[in-house]
Formats: sequence, C-alpha cells, structure tokens
Amino acid sequence: MSTAGTTITDPTMAAQNYGLIAAFDTAPGLYRAAEKVRDAGFRRWDCITPFPVHGLDKAMGVKRSIVPRISLVGGITGFITGMTMIWWTGAYDYKLVVGGKPLFSPMFAFPVSYELTILFTAFATIGGMFVLNGLPMHYHPVLKHDQIRRGMDDRFFIVIEARDDRFDAAKTRALLEAAGGLDIKELEA
Amino acid sequence: MSTSSATISANPSVTGTSGAAAGRALMIGLAGLALTVVGFFISHDYHAVALAYLVGITYCTAIAIGMLLLVLIHHIFDASWSVLLRRQYEHCFAAFPWLFLLFLPLLVGSWMGTHDLIWPWMNPEHEVHGGTVATDILYQKKSGFLSLGMLTGATVIFFLIWIWLGSRLRKASFTQDQDGDLKWTHMSRVTAALGIPLTALSLTFAAIYWVKSLEYHWFSTMYGVWFFANCVRGALCCGVLIMVWLHRRGDLKGVLNNNHFHSIGMLMLAFTVFWAYVTFSQYFLIWNANVPEETFWYNLRELNHDGSTNQWWYVGLVILFGHFFVPFFALLSYRFKITHHIIRRIAYWILAVILVDLCYNILPALKDEHGDSLPFLSSNLIWVLTSVVGVGGVCVWAYLRSLPGTKIIPIRDPRIGECLTHHE
Repeated sequence: MSTAGTTITDPTMAAQNYGLIAAFDTAPGLYRAAEKVRDAGFRRWDCITPFPVHGLDKAMGVKRSIVPRISLVGGITGFITGMTMIWWTGAYDYKLVVGGKPLFSPMFAFPVSYELTILFTAFATIGGMFVLNGLPMHYHPVLKHDQIRRGMDDRFFIVIEARDDRFDAAKTRALLEAAGGLDIKELEA
Repeated sequence: MSTSSATISANPSVTGTSGAAAGRALMIGLAGLALTVVGFFISHDYHAVALAYLVGITYCTAIAIGMLLLVLIHHIFDASWSVLLRRQYEHCFAAFPWLFLLFLPLLVGSWMGTHDLIWPWMNPEHEVHGGTVATDILYQKKSGFLSLGMLTGATVIFFLIWIWLGSRLRKASFTQDQDGDLKWTHMSRVTAALGIPLTALSLTFAAIYWVKSLEYHWFSTMYGVWFFANCVRGALCCGVLIMVWLHRRGDLKGVLNNNHFHSIGMLMLAFTVFWAYVTFSQYFLIWNANVPEETFWYNLRELNHDGSTNQWWYVGLVILFGHFFVPFFALLSYRFKITHHIIRRIAYWILAVILVDLCYNILPALKDEHGDSLPFLSSNLIWVLTSVVGVGGVCVWAYLRSLPGTKIIPIRDPRIGECLTHHE
C-alpha cells in the first residue's frame, strides 16, 4: 500500500503533461479550429481525423513536404554510384575490354545508373518519409485517451503539445474552447 | 455544381473574341502555306521544301494524335481530374479533317513525275549506293510494304481512323452537354477500348511510312514508341497552353486549380522520362550492336564522309539536353508545375524541341553529292517554319472555330464534380 502510494506520488515519476486534446464533431468545425490554432502561432500540434480532409494542410499552415528533395538527393547519389561503379570495375580496378567497346563509356553505364537512380530514389523517399514522420513509432500519448478510437470512426481531434513555446495550460484550453473544441482533456506523456 | 458552371459558360463576348482570333489564325495559317508553296516553286531544291512540309504536317498531326490518345486514355481509365482538359482536346479534334486535306499534296506529289518527291523508294530509278532502288535487295524484300499504293492507302486509312474516333468522341461529349445521358460516357468508353489499339497501330505505321522509310535501309523497333512519346508530349504542352490561355481570358477562373496543373505537369514529367528512355534505348542498342546496317543512320547525323563533325551532331546534343535534361529538371519542381507563366514557358520549350527532334529525324534524308546530310541551319529551315506556321495556323483556326460551339466545360459529365474539386 505504502510502496504503491510512494510510486504514484513520487514527483519524479508523476505523469507529465503531454498536452491538450479537444474533440470536434464535424470536419468543417475541425477545419475552422485548425485555422485558429494556426493563427495563434502554434507549431507542435496535430489534427486527428478518420479520413483525409482536403485542404486541412493549408488550414494547419503545413508546408509542402521536403521528401521530394530527399528523393532527389537519393536519385543523384544512385546515378553517380552507378557511373562510378562501372568505371571503377571496368576501367580502373580491373581493365577489361568487352565486345570491343571502350573501357568506359556512359552509354553502357547508363542502364545500370538509371536503375540505381530509381532504386536509391525509392530508398531515399521511403527513408525520408520514415524519418520525417518519426517512424517507427510504437507508442504515442494520444493512445491513452479513451476517446481516441473515435478518431478512426466519426470524430475529429486537435492535439496541442505542452512543449510548444506558446503552450499555456489555461490559455490554450481557452483557445480550444473558443474554437469549438469539446471534451478537452489533458494527455499524459 | 451545375449552377456554378452555367454562369461560366455561354458568354457571348467569348464567342466574339474567339471568332476574331480564329480569323487571325486562319490568315496566319494561309500565309504560311502560301509562303511554303512559293518556296516550293522558287527554291532550287523543291525536294527540300517538300520535306520541310513533311516536318510541318507531321508535327501538327503528331500533336493531334497525342490529344486523341490522351482522351482515349482518359475514358478507358474513367479518369476524373482531366475532364476539363478533355473538352479542349475534343475541340482540337476538329483539326483532323484539315490535317488530312493538308497531307494530300504530299500524296498527290508522290503520284506525279518520278514519284520521289519525298520518299526516295517510290522511284525505282532513284540512285542508292551505286545502284538503283529497283536493283537494291533491301528494297526488293521490302517492296510489298513500301509501295506507293500501300503508303497512299495506309495514310488515307490512318486519317479516317483518327477523324472517325475524334468525331465519335466529340459527338458523345457534346451531346451529353444537352441531354446529360450516361450512355454517351459508356459510348466513349467503347470508343476508347477500340480506339487505343487502332491509334497505337496507326501512329506506329504512320511514323514508319512517313518518317522512318525516308531511310528505308534502316531498322529500329523503337520508332513507333519514339513517335508516340513525342505525340503525347506535344499534346500535353498544347493542353497547358490552352489551359493557361483560357484561365487568363477568364473562362476557367475559379474552375481550374493548382492541382490540375500539377497533374498535367506530372504527366509531362513522366513522358519526358519515357521519351528519354525510348530514345536512349534506340541509340544504345544500335551503339552496342555496332552493325553498319543500323549505325549509318546515326553516322549521317554525326559525321560527314571525310570524318568531320556535321551540324546534326550538335542538333543531337540540343535534343539530348533540351528534350530531356532541361525539361526533366524543370518539371521536378512543384512550384514550376503550378506557376502559370513558368509551366507555359516549359510547354513552349518542349514544343520547340519536338520540332527540332522531327527535323533531326526527317531532314538529314536530304543529301549532297558526297552523300552527306545537308546542314540543319540552312534556308530549308525557313520552309520548315512556314510549314509549321501554315499547318499550325489552320489547326488553331479549326480549334477556335469549334470552341464557342459548346460549354467551356462538360457540365453534365458524371465526373465533372470530381474534376472541379480535384485535389492531391
């Protein structure tokens, strides 16, 4: 009893506040609330919806993903890898004449370089997406919220994280209330 | 949705400006054709002018075929985002009968005189490699396919196919505007299922007969695909130009969104890569096999008989960088794809390089007394330009004449709602 009590009241083990979650019943309600949260200047926050809501990116002020740039870097790396590999093996490390062709030519190195461009682009795209999304993610504080299942069914949520610079338990709660948020709860980290 | 569309369409002032623009296009077109005819009679080498005209007519026909294919593909996939674009392509199909009419002089010219106005193999006395066409074993083996009658018949059939498919698609789409009947959508789907193989075969054989047979000793299994890639690239670029023009004029304001341009841009990028893949494959296989029966075609485009580099070598580099690298890197950018004045410039650029690509494939068939290809930069280029302006002007006129006849968007298409709210 006493040990259990200490565990719970131990200040170092106390549940930390992850942030606030507010529910919305309709997509337009969520959309307008997202615009308000965006305009309030929050950065660490997210929307949870049961289906894609078109235009929500804009309402949230989310910029376009930088994954394409990572893909481009991957593609260029693949192309250079292909060209270098064929030059290295055939014209430098072990010089070998094949079919009366030059030791190295971009012509015959092209198909391999092209394939590697595609392969490395795919790796970079998947890898970039995983890193930027923080995947794999086995746990997320919103999973503790007893209502969260409805976020996959018929309800919409906005989560604002406590580590956001603008977060203030009372003011942020008031903002979510003013934006039409329902059942506003604190989330444990 | 239909209420918002109704306010957009049927604007009488639009009809008026289209009419004036159509008149101007026709004037420019006729002037271009007239200049080409004058060139034919005053030039010291009328073969060159005829070949330049082949470039012009092939260029415009290729773009029209590309539009036809895109609409057929739209229907076979039951696509939604491209409904807006489809209507403009349907107006462009009005050019097919005129293209047929404008092709006829080449056929008539081939039936007259020594028959080798354009295609050397039509004249049995035409000299090749020390002999004549008639004594050439390669011609004898191919004579069943390469005959004046076959080319004429095939060309007539190709155009009839394209005119027929185009008019079926136009009729279905335009009638649906009136009655909203879904049967027209289903009819177009049947047209697409029939039309895709028909168009694929006809454009392949058209490329072989009209362009590739100029060097009938040559072999390439990639030729039809190369032509197809250019057809679709040209059609997409013209689609962009039409969309930007209609948006600027106000017709599509509030209708067209960034995602439409993004989607067209992605297709442009995809076909840029596809074109490069096909064109490189053709070159690479010939380079790798290195047999004279095939390499001579590229040698003509790189070297003179004394081994010096000719102009076509540089044209080849322009095609490599201008037709692939520049559009490829430009079209990678999202911002470039959705910014109207940038995507419009990219479209103009690609259209110009497609013309260079066709010149590269057609004009080196003209040779001097050493058997070297006549240079790219010569007075012949003037006749290429007058031909393109001539045939193109007539095509633009046909489009502008068709444009005011219907609503600016197919308001009763079952997919129009999805199209207007097109998103990523």
